[in-house]
Amino acid sequence: MADHKNHAGHAEEHFREKHLMLDPLPRGQMNDMVMESMHTTSWKFWVVFAILSAIVGYGLFYSWGTMIAEGLGIAGVNRPSYWGIFLVNTVFWIGISHAGTFISAILRVFKAEFRRPFTRAAELMTTFGLVQAGFSVFMHMGRVWLAYWLMPYANQRMLWPNLHSPLTWDLLAITTYLLSSTMYLFLPLIPDLAMARDRSTGWRKTFYKTLALGFRGTEGEWAHLRNAMNIFAFAIIPVMFSVHTIVSWDFAAATRPGWNSSIFGPYFVVGALHSGMGAVIMVLAVVRATMKHMKYFIRPEHFDAIAKLMLIISMAWAYFFFNDYMVQWYGGDKWTHQLLHFHEAGPLGWMWFAMLIFNIAIPWAVLWNQKWRSTPWIVFIVGFFINIGMWFERYIIVPISLSINRMPFTWRMYEPGVEIPLGIGTLAFFILLYMGASKLIPLIPVWEVEEGQMAHELKKFGRETVVSVSELE
Amino acid sequence: MIRPEEIKMSADESGKWGMVIDQDICTGCQACVAACAMENNISFVGEKDSGYGRSMHWIRIERFWEGEYPEVKMTPNQPMLCQQCGSATCEPVCPAFATVHSQAEQLNLQVYNRCVGTRYCANNCPYQVRSFNWRDYERPEPLSNQLNPDVTVRRRGVMEKCTFCIQRIHKAQDKAKSEGREVLDGEFTTACAQACPANAITFGRVDDPESLVSQLAKKRGHGIKHLEELGTLPNVTYFKGG
Amino acid sequence: MTDKFSRRDFLKLAGVGTATTAILTGCGPASRYVKREPYMLMPEYTYNGQSTYYATTCRECAAGCGLVVRTSQGRAIKTEGNANHPLNLGKTCARGQATLHGLYNPDRVTDPLQRKRGNVSAAKMDWDAAIQTVADAFKQYKPNEAAFLMGTSSDHLFDLVTDLCSRTGLNLPVRFGALSMFESRATLAKAAENLFGEAGLPFFDVGGAQVVFSFGANFLETWLSPVSYTRGFAGLREGQTKKRGSFIQFESRMSSTAGKADEWIPLQPGSEALVALAIGRLALEMRGGPLPRAFADIDPRTAAARSGIELETLERYAEMFVNSTGVLAIPGGAALGQTNGLAVAEAVLTLNAVADNFGKQGGVFFSPTAPGQEKYQRSASVKEMQDLVQKMTDGEIKVLFVHGVNPLFELPASLEFKKALDGVEQVISFSTFPDETALESDFVFPDHHGLESWGYQRVSTGSNQSALSGSQPVVSPFYNTRSTADVLIAAAQLAGGDFAKALPFKDEVEFLQEKVAPLLNEVDGYFSAPDINTFMASFQQYGGWWKNSDSRVIPNTADVFNRNLKAAEAEFAGEGEFFFMPFVSPTLAEAGANKPWLQELPDPTTTVMWNTWVEINPETAHELGLEDDDVVKIISEAGELEVPVYRYPAIRPDTIAIPFGQGHTAYGRYAEQRGVNPADLLGRHFNEAGDLAFAGMKVRIEKTGKKQPLSRLESIMGVYGVGLGEEH
Repeated sequence: MADHKNHAGHAEEHFREKHLMLDPLPRGQMNDMVMESMHTTSWKFWVVFAILSAIVGYGLFYSWGTMIAEGLGIAGVNRPSYWGIFLVNTVFWIGISHAGTFISAILRVFKAEFRRPFTRAAELMTTFGLVQAGFSVFMHMGRVWLAYWLMPYANQRMLWPNLHSPLTWDLLAITTYLLSSTMYLFLPLIPDLAMARDRSTGWRKTFYKTLALGFRGTEGEWAHLRNAMNIFAFAIIPVMFSVHTIVSWDFAAATRPGWNSSIFGPYFVVGALHSGMGAVIMVLAVVRATMKHMKYFIRPEHFDAIAKLMLIISMAWAYFFFNDYMVQWYGGDKWTHQLLHFHEAGPLGWMWFAMLIFNIAIPWAVLWNQKWRSTPWIVFIVGFFINIGMWFERYIIVPISLSINRMPFTWRMYEPGVEIPLGIGTLAFFILLYMGASKLIPLIPVWEVEEGQMAHELKKFGRETVVSVSELE
Repeated sequence: MIRPEEIKMSADESGKWGMVIDQDICTGCQACVAACAMENNISFVGEKDSGYGRSMHWIRIERFWEGEYPEVKMTPNQPMLCQQCGSATCEPVCPAFATVHSQAEQLNLQVYNRCVGTRYCANNCPYQVRSFNWRDYERPEPLSNQLNPDVTVRRRGVMEKCTFCIQRIHKAQDKAKSEGREVLDGEFTTACAQACPANAITFGRVDDPESLVSQLAKKRGHGIKHLEELGTLPNVTYFKGG
Repeated sequence: MTDKFSRRDFLKLAGVGTATTAILTGCGPASRYVKREPYMLMPEYTYNGQSTYYATTCRECAAGCGLVVRTSQGRAIKTEGNANHPLNLGKTCARGQATLHGLYNPDRVTDPLQRKRGNVSAAKMDWDAAIQTVADAFKQYKPNEAAFLMGTSSDHLFDLVTDLCSRTGLNLPVRFGALSMFESRATLAKAAENLFGEAGLPFFDVGGAQVVFSFGANFLETWLSPVSYTRGFAGLREGQTKKRGSFIQFESRMSSTAGKADEWIPLQPGSEALVALAIGRLALEMRGGPLPRAFADIDPRTAAARSGIELETLERYAEMFVNSTGVLAIPGGAALGQTNGLAVAEAVLTLNAVADNFGKQGGVFFSPTAPGQEKYQRSASVKEMQDLVQKMTDGEIKVLFVHGVNPLFELPASLEFKKALDGVEQVISFSTFPDETALESDFVFPDHHGLESWGYQRVSTGSNQSALSGSQPVVSPFYNTRSTADVLIAAAQLAGGDFAKALPFKDEVEFLQEKVAPLLNEVDGYFSAPDINTFMASFQQYGGWWKNSDSRVIPNTADVFNRNLKAAEAEFAGEGEFFFMPFVSPTLAEAGANKPWLQELPDPTTTVMWNTWVEINPETAHELGLEDDDVVKIISEAGELEVPVYRYPAIRPDTIAIPFGQGHTAYGRYAEQRGVNPADLLGRHFNEAGDLAFAGMKVRIEKTGKKQPLSRLESIMGVYGVGLGEEH
């Protein structure tokens, strides 16, 4: 008997160690841990922060300012690659932003319990990623100071944006997505802001007080909040799918070999998730490694779960890639043939192969193994490669595909110029925003973790210890 | 996608200006390119940018090679300019309505001061005949004295392209109107056609069967329109000749 | 209220002001100009947006095409061809279009200058001092110590200087231009003289021909009168009344003219005369009858072997002579610029006798003699230039006046013109632009730009009609420049004596009137007038005067067949393994490099902009391990230069070619330090007519390991498949 009891005790211990939901801590302690993680800032943080600020200052603001003053000539765009890394980065950052919504909204709707500690981290990626996408697309404009002309606003001359243009759809879709994802980030944040308000003093108190909108945690408030979150979780999913589909239409709706493909919509969505999941896992690995108490909240089980999703999405991406390639090739258009050949055998053919290795071979080779999946640094590296691979994919679709058209007299390679500091600037700005956010808002949605821990319990059926989850809502 | 009835409508539209280019007699001398640049205030961009696909030529002369030495041949020079498509692919993609179809002249207009520089039109132009102002290209004084007051000078960030010398069309129309008559065929022509020493370029009303362009098209026959399979309804007809 | 300035008072005062201005400027030539006004100060006679058009003559080359310049409020906006003008019938070439970039060039010489030779900086002078300087030069030196070196346009100034010199005993002016050097005009004229007993510039009726054989004549580019020959080419192809004519070009490198040919025959350089004679002999044999002396000595087999053309091909061409009417053979370009150039010219002209096309449609004529011209006047051959250079070096020339030509750039460096300048005490340049020669002069007294100038140019070839093309200022002078004719007239007056008597004119316009006055009595003119003022008005309005009828001259061909024709092959100077073929850039020509839009025009064959390249056959490049844009050193016996490679698919593997037009060390911001000048490689070798054997050099190639990307309009990927990856 004793042995049996001991065995059951071991199993329970094992479960607790492994699963956050089964390893509850007192609420007060958990709140304090989250608060402490926000307050604890080492000098290293400030060094990195300063370096990134410098990069943003030069790469983003100075370089962009120069480009606005001098024109796009200092970038590498030319005829025929009228769109360059600006659009690559736009698509890339919108792709990154997809993972946030996917993890947060879809997993919430499907009640995937492992999502709880990192929904916030993912949602922040959505918002911050969209900010970079916005930067990138505005950089791309020849006369960015007139960007408001793309917005429908009442004017005496009755000039409206052209609703036939995929770019107008794009702008509307991205704006909608930015607004809704920001709200969707904010709603679950309210209880945590209220928690932080109650545990802060000074300017932080004012800050949280303002943002918490007077949330006190009454039944009525919770009911409204849950309702709102539910509505948003469902509503934002189609928005998310539409955004990247519409982004893909910028290309698919054009009369260009290699672009004019009907499968671009889902292909882009899956591609976005691919890079997005890679980015989420990288962020989680960094957060876990650098911030206090995060090893408690973010555990190998979470890496394992996300890595599984990555593997599936990688397969889906491979499917769409093959499908697109196959149909384009089979179509037999001579310009498309020329383009496909150029992708593999042209001067940047290595990029095409690297894309396949990074997006397919590496995830498939690594992520089948649970042990590797659960090792943060391994999945970090995989996520990194996937992001490089997906950036290459966009690079192949935008400037490389633009190099080949129906007028061979104009074919020309694209050589990036100021796009490089600008691109690095957006990356630095993304990290900078994230670092700032990690010190200002609770990165872990404490109430969600607590809610999950309350719902989970270990039950014994005979010899077996079983996890049971009760429906709270 | 263009609906068939739209194609038909566009093809039947009256008031269409068009061009016939005889590649058999085009010598590639670049007179049209220079004339176009002078007439339309086109910037020169310098050695570096011009070699990097940023030259602003509204008309360029393409030539390819066939065969190997000594049997090598230059393909007939092919002046490539905006084809003023009846169903242009550049038009629907502009988010700001900066490139629009003119019902009056049946031309693709580029409204410089409405252009915000997304460059989508240029990507979507199958003929790759749009040029973008990548910079404020220098035009040291007193070169600006040469600028044609009838044509807007473009600044950085703006797309531009061949207009079929719309300023000349309007001038001729205004003159005809003030004299109470129709514009006569051959009364005016575009800068490129006017300069061409070989008379390889002919400009006029393609909807008028009596006009020189229509007559030429009829006389020569076998004219081709580039990338017609895309349904763009180009208004420039080429004779390869030979 | 009285101290207030009323509107009426203002108008009164303004009226007085205007009248004063009119009187002041009414004395000099300035009153003949339209004033340049800011657009906001609209003169009363102009309407917003209404242009004024002036007829004048293009001075970008010596052909003399008529222009109509559109001006707006005193600014020249656009040049168009003069539709009435018999030479160009309303058309222009690219250089004519870009002439406005010369007029409004930011690097013009703005004031009379005095400088230490070679110094870019110079002291400004006033025009009185400048005229004094010229007058002093007239008086200070003996007549045979002064020399005028002039360009090929404008003719009125040449006439004025000729009058001045012939009446005062100064050395007669020498005219030169790189274009006439590369055209081998002297050779053509000499050949005509030898064959027809009369020197003249032959006119080839390309438009009326059915088959055209061109031996190196690049008549669609810069040769003689490109606009009118291009019109002729269109006529050949369109065949107004006949079928589409065909065109065969013999040339070691495919020029843009050869690019339009149905057949391009890259024959062995130097074998042109053999080929022409062989075709002639084969044709005559096919026809039967006795062989004339001219074709008696040639052996077609040898010719085929020497030229590398199959005998069957020559026979096929000979059949064309037998079976077609309207066969035309044109000698020109590099074929004449060889040591046997004169033999080539004679052989090819004689070939026309086989076609029996002299004086017939599609055949050979003498160009009409221009009004006011007794006999054909050609520009100097390089040999004659060498004589001048020798005199300068020897110190026989003490003062040199240079106008309209830039010998430091246009003459081969091996003539050592720079060294010769050291032997000249005083060099006075009348250059509009700060070119190399102006930089090496003691004084620069800038002439107006052609569009600011009066004058006329004789149409020496290209038109059926005898034509004198008129110039008038279309805008008022932009800078403190002065017409060289006016400067010389004023200086002659100042110098007094014979000089004053030689040029007894108030100003340039009076001189012009005197020169065109004889035309008042001519019949069959495009217009006629009762008095000189009316005549001048029409002359200005129509842009010149010309005859209505065809005034081409039929050459006297009595002796053509009976001459002994030498079937000599060319000799090539130098040790290298490559034939060197310089050619004139069709877009830049001799003086276009300072016009930014001409620089930005792609070369018709290579599409290169803003630079110089060397054309090398891709096979040869492969053997030498050369890629596009590799900088190579080209070494001739006369010099060497470094230039990037363009792998050109249509050139003989043993030939390399470099365009002439770039490589300026002065001449303004758009021309300076850009490209190289192939004239630096040319040695002093001449043909029998004294023209430079510019295509008679052999050169070596050395790798330098450097790269210099050429700006091309074309896509290397799309046109040559470079960088697209392996073939499927």
